[in-house]
Amino acid sequence: MRPEARVDASLEITVLVSVGRHPVTGRARRADQDARAVELARGVADASVRLLHAGGKEADSEPALRGYLGMGFDALTLVEQPEGADALPALADALNEAPPQLVITGERAEQGEGSGLLPYLLAERLGWPVVSGLAAVESVENGVATLLQALPRGQRRRLKVRLPAIVTVDGAAPAPRQSAYGPARRGHLAAVPGSVTVDEAWASWETQPARKRPKRLKIVKAASARDRFKAAAAKAEGGGGQVLTDVTVEEGAEAILKLLKEEGVLR
Amino acid sequence: MSDIVRRDPRKAWIARNRLHPQHREVLAELGQSAGQGATSEWMGPAGIVRRNPHAVGFMGPNGIKRIDRSGVQQGAGGGAAAKSAAQSKPLVEIESPAFLVAVVPDMAGGRLSGHDRDLLGLARQLADADPNARGAVLAVVFGGYNREGGGELKEHGFGEAGVDRLLSLDDPRFDGFAPEARLGALLAVEEAWTPRHWLVPDSRLGGADLGRRLAARLGERPATGVWQLEPDATAELGWQCTARGAAATLDIQRPLPRITLALEECAEPVDDNRHAAEALSLPQELPSPISRIEDLGQVPVDPAGVALAEAEFILSAGNGIRDWDGYHTAAEVLGATEGASRVAVDDGFMPRDRQVGATGTWVTARVYVAVGISGAIQHLQGIQTCDKVVAINMDPGCDMIKRADLAVIGDSAEVLASLVTMVKQQREEKRDAA
Amino acid sequence: MLDILLPILIFAALGLAAIGVVRRVRLWRQGRPSPVPLVKGLASVPRRYLVDLHHVVARDKVMSNTHVATAGGFVAAAVLMVLVHGLGLAEGVLGWGLLAASATMFVGSCFVARRRRNPPSRLSKGPWMRLPKSLMAFSLSVFAITLPAVGLLPDNFFEGSVSWVLALALSAVLVWGLGEMVFGMAWGGPMKHAFAGALHLAFHRRAERFSTRGGEGKRSTGLKALNLDDQDATLGVEKPSDFTWNQLLGFDACVQCGRCEAMCPAFAAGQPLNPKKLIQDMVVGMAGGSDANYAGSPYPGQPVGEHQGSPQGPIVAREGKALVDAETLWSCTTCRACVEECPMMIEHVDAIVDMRRFLTLEHGNTPNKGAEVLDNLIATDNPGGFAPDARMHWAADLELPLMADRGEAEVLLWLGDGAYDMRNQRTLRSLVKVLRAADVDFAVLGNEERDSGDVARRLGDEATFQSLAKRNIATLSKYRFQRIVTCDPHSFHVLGNEYGELGGPGMPAQYEVSHHSTYIAELFDAGRLHVKPWKGGGVTFHDPCYLGRYNGEYEAPRSVLKALGIELKEMERSGFRSRCCGGGGGAPITDIPGERRIPDMRMGDVGETGAELVAVGCPQCTAMLEGVVDATAEVRDIAELVASALTEAPEAFAGAAQQSSNRPQAVEVA
Repeated sequence: MRPEARVDASLEITVLVSVGRHPVTGRARRADQDARAVELARGVADASVRLLHAGGKEADSEPALRGYLGMGFDALTLVEQPEGADALPALADALNEAPPQLVITGERAEQGEGSGLLPYLLAERLGWPVVSGLAAVESVENGVATLLQALPRGQRRRLKVRLPAIVTVDGAAPAPRQSAYGPARRGHLAAVPGSVTVDEAWASWETQPARKRPKRLKIVKAASARDRFKAAAAKAEGGGGQVLTDVTVEEGAEAILKLLKEEGVLR
Repeated sequence: MSDIVRRDPRKAWIARNRLHPQHREVLAELGQSAGQGATSEWMGPAGIVRRNPHAVGFMGPNGIKRIDRSGVQQGAGGGAAAKSAAQSKPLVEIESPAFLVAVVPDMAGGRLSGHDRDLLGLARQLADADPNARGAVLAVVFGGYNREGGGELKEHGFGEAGVDRLLSLDDPRFDGFAPEARLGALLAVEEAWTPRHWLVPDSRLGGADLGRRLAARLGERPATGVWQLEPDATAELGWQCTARGAAATLDIQRPLPRITLALEECAEPVDDNRHAAEALSLPQELPSPISRIEDLGQVPVDPAGVALAEAEFILSAGNGIRDWDGYHTAAEVLGATEGASRVAVDDGFMPRDRQVGATGTWVTARVYVAVGISGAIQHLQGIQTCDKVVAINMDPGCDMIKRADLAVIGDSAEVLASLVTMVKQQREEKRDAA
Repeated sequence: MLDILLPILIFAALGLAAIGVVRRVRLWRQGRPSPVPLVKGLASVPRRYLVDLHHVVARDKVMSNTHVATAGGFVAAAVLMVLVHGLGLAEGVLGWGLLAASATMFVGSCFVARRRRNPPSRLSKGPWMRLPKSLMAFSLSVFAITLPAVGLLPDNFFEGSVSWVLALALSAVLVWGLGEMVFGMAWGGPMKHAFAGALHLAFHRRAERFSTRGGEGKRSTGLKALNLDDQDATLGVEKPSDFTWNQLLGFDACVQCGRCEAMCPAFAAGQPLNPKKLIQDMVVGMAGGSDANYAGSPYPGQPVGEHQGSPQGPIVAREGKALVDAETLWSCTTCRACVEECPMMIEHVDAIVDMRRFLTLEHGNTPNKGAEVLDNLIATDNPGGFAPDARMHWAADLELPLMADRGEAEVLLWLGDGAYDMRNQRTLRSLVKVLRAADVDFAVLGNEERDSGDVARRLGDEATFQSLAKRNIATLSKYRFQRIVTCDPHSFHVLGNEYGELGGPGMPAQYEVSHHSTYIAELFDAGRLHVKPWKGGGVTFHDPCYLGRYNGEYEAPRSVLKALGIELKEMERSGFRSRCCGGGGGAPITDIPGERRIPDMRMGDVGETGAELVAVGCPQCTAMLEGVVDATAEVRDIAELVASALTEAPEAFAGAAQQSSNRPQAVEVA
């Protein structure tokens, strides 16, 4: 229940957590990537994990933050800020006060600008290296962490990074454990006042719910009218797919092979 | 091979005689020697062009005959024509640009990706906006792997993609995951030429990472997830952009900053002109920074261990599979991740975490091969987002066939075995060739 | 000599038993407090035993008579023995009574012995195998020592030197009998069930289950709510002592007859659950120790003797083994077949959900898809994670009247989460068609509806359940309706039986809820529906657990099918013994592997009847049974069958139909 490594912890990890937003209903929740970051931190042997959040303690964000506590934590440090304030200086101060060896966070926030810049700016300010897209922390020895970075198609790359460092995780990191109601309810939100720098640029921008992006049309720039007509009229695919009945096994296999090659999934 | 055309009068005679029992074979033979797929036209012995109207056209995917009269089908050497077309595009040269638009393409696999080309299109929009003061597009390309054995760049199409200036940095220290070294190079570019715009693809593990590093180092607040640009006289750089925010649920309208991380399809790729792609080099040696991140290389990953939701190519097994060993072999040879229908899991042939469908995992594979899966509604729901679905099934009436882009009706074990043989054969040929 | 020996023996046994009783009571008192009416409860024992318990036992006539003879004989013999031999009141009738009682008991014990000669696998062995001998020892020895007392043998029969030996031998047998029957009862032998069972009946946590002089007992199947406002209250049951004391008492009442095991669908499917073993494990945990002495069928696939527990130790370990594995608890489909069968009226499902609550609320360890489903319920109010405003997409063309527009209606049609499921949408469409054909004034909540909370509650997430329930209650309180009709028995059960506790001041949550089969049956009775005669093949009906066992509705679906002209081919296990489809209690979500699948077995039951079609009345059952590969029968909801048989009212009935639509409740339609 308690972070097992509270005693005799050799590695201190801080996980930056944010208030997420459910993609369908927009309700506040623990952010998926941040929850994965917490899970990743829990998976590191002999580490004491601290949760850190900068932001307000509004009615709907509290259950979301408690969602992280429900993953088995006694407390979450809440650097209190009014809405619209820049989280960066507040977080940097908090990290400077008690510098951990490793900071783990999600790739980008589910609310606000969600530019994914925070880990980079934080790293810049603290002078730490930053590594993105992590799938696992393999080991930490002598101030050097061995990490697995997620590449597309489930591929992995092994990296070594000197600590202290900031790392971000994305969807390839292990799925977060269930947030349990009991620990979430009991956990303590330790609020500390944070510095307030109002993000004026953000306030000046216009925002609206995301529009559906237009689907790109196949524009054929052809020399002749015939080619243009052909391109406009051609709709060879679509409708039902191709069904090969009464073909030999080889023909069937060949057709499949052709498609696999076209799609470039065969290596 | 000599260029002398040798004629066999007997064959020519058979080719003319449509009633001859060997007529078709001979036609095919003659056709092949002419380098065409279909023999609809050949030179008769008297020097007269003979036509077979029945051989014109090709079978469309719906089984209806299609006749293409644009001349492409008649095999006028498509490659050559395309090449000449590229040659024929007007060359645009910008001698003294008013400003620079720096683009840092991902160059995945050493070639410009679609995303890179879109970005270069966007760069051209920025560069060409004012015909009186045109900017030049500078592409900064990293990595020794961009060159083939002979030292030539793998990618030839920089000019066609709209690059005016090309800075190719191929020191080995940029290879792999080397964000710090690459950042150093970009800073040198900034110092040397101070581009007005920096454009970076907002692509995972490519530009998204590097662009944000650059922005953080330069102290610029970049626009991320940009997908649209509009001219706006009131803005500092003269442009207004629309960017995705809040996990792609928000559109943010804001003036375009100096550094832009743009999404795919943010602009049309360049198509009309050729650009010079004139090679540049940095005015001074790059300092070698101390790297705190060390790339130990890619870790071999067993495709079978890849999470289903993440997998790109899934070979999924269902109730119709009898030869499980053959199936597993096929998955291994094809390098596909294994999936399963509920029934295959319930029957204990596959583990539960391999179940695809509404009650299992929702998959996002680009190619999904369903072997012996009839296609229960829950299963089809789970593969909704798959790009191409291939079905191998005995029953031509099942729902999976209706969903599939390509369906092969037949014994799955035999088809898979044949597929495995072909893939192995081709790999060997490739190895021999290499 | 016996005159001296007998009182000593009897009172010694009673004394030891008293010590045992105190010990046993202290074991129970480890549980959490739960107030019970002490005197009233004790006073109700005879009635509860003779009426309610025997109602269950009497399903097996031979065993029931055996038990009456043995138990009745024993109770009479024990009381009379104390009077006759303990206090020496051997005059007249008492002695003869004792003789008769012990003789009856002996006859009963002969039947017990016959039962034990080739016991079915569901019966526990071990100490239970010696019970018939002990019963005989007691009854025979009591019979023998009573013979002189009534004068059938000379008074001094046991006084000669030969008789001395005889007397000693007899006393030895009596000691054995007393030991088992009196001492063992209080110290944990098989006879414990008599003592614990009687008190269990007296202090049962669902007193309303029992009949009173006023009338039949009510079905009491709704789970009891957790008090979430109390920050210090334990969330569910972590260790045996977290059960209430009368739950612990209930576990002790188990006779290990294994009727639950024989009925349990998870056990039959080879999933690691056996309700009998679970209750015995709780007894082990209450007293502390290992399950090595358990002598019945184990959890399938799990050998006995590897688990142990203590009253203050965890029941389910986070890692490794404790008293019970989590898979055992998650295998349950909450079908209540075990509770329905249990002659001791033990509440297995309550205990399982109590333990699940702890696993979900404290451990955060709902297996497989459980966590995802619960997250979806929290974020989107439906288990599939679909957009709440897409709930009515299936009915875009039906123009269903919305409560939000109407404000009131005679019938509130509760759609349930089946609204998102393409299969169940067919059922819903059929139901709407039927309601329209009968001119029913109904309306739906539309997008205001949420999941009823059934799945969340069965998965142990009481917090999410209560949150959903309270919001649903608030929505329902805005509108006026006479009753709720739903085609989802799970919603039916939750709305009807479990929301009541959660209503607030000014917001009562007592609704009249009907399953659609009930409502359609009423429409038929009122002559508001007209159907073509049935032309299909053989039909059987699968009773949904949450309709049948949970709510006692066995008749309405059958009468609807009868009205359609269908003659049912009943399955062997139907009605209150219906076998679960495997879809309840979140079992498809937690998905604990077994050797077989429960729906496959159920479809096998259907196949045995030779029916070509199985009628169901529950979206879960539909989904589970339709998921069976190579099924022999098609699956149709009752609403679908009715809708496809609908016709216009024939001329002859036109008048009647007119009349019926003039009934007062139909006036509101206009």
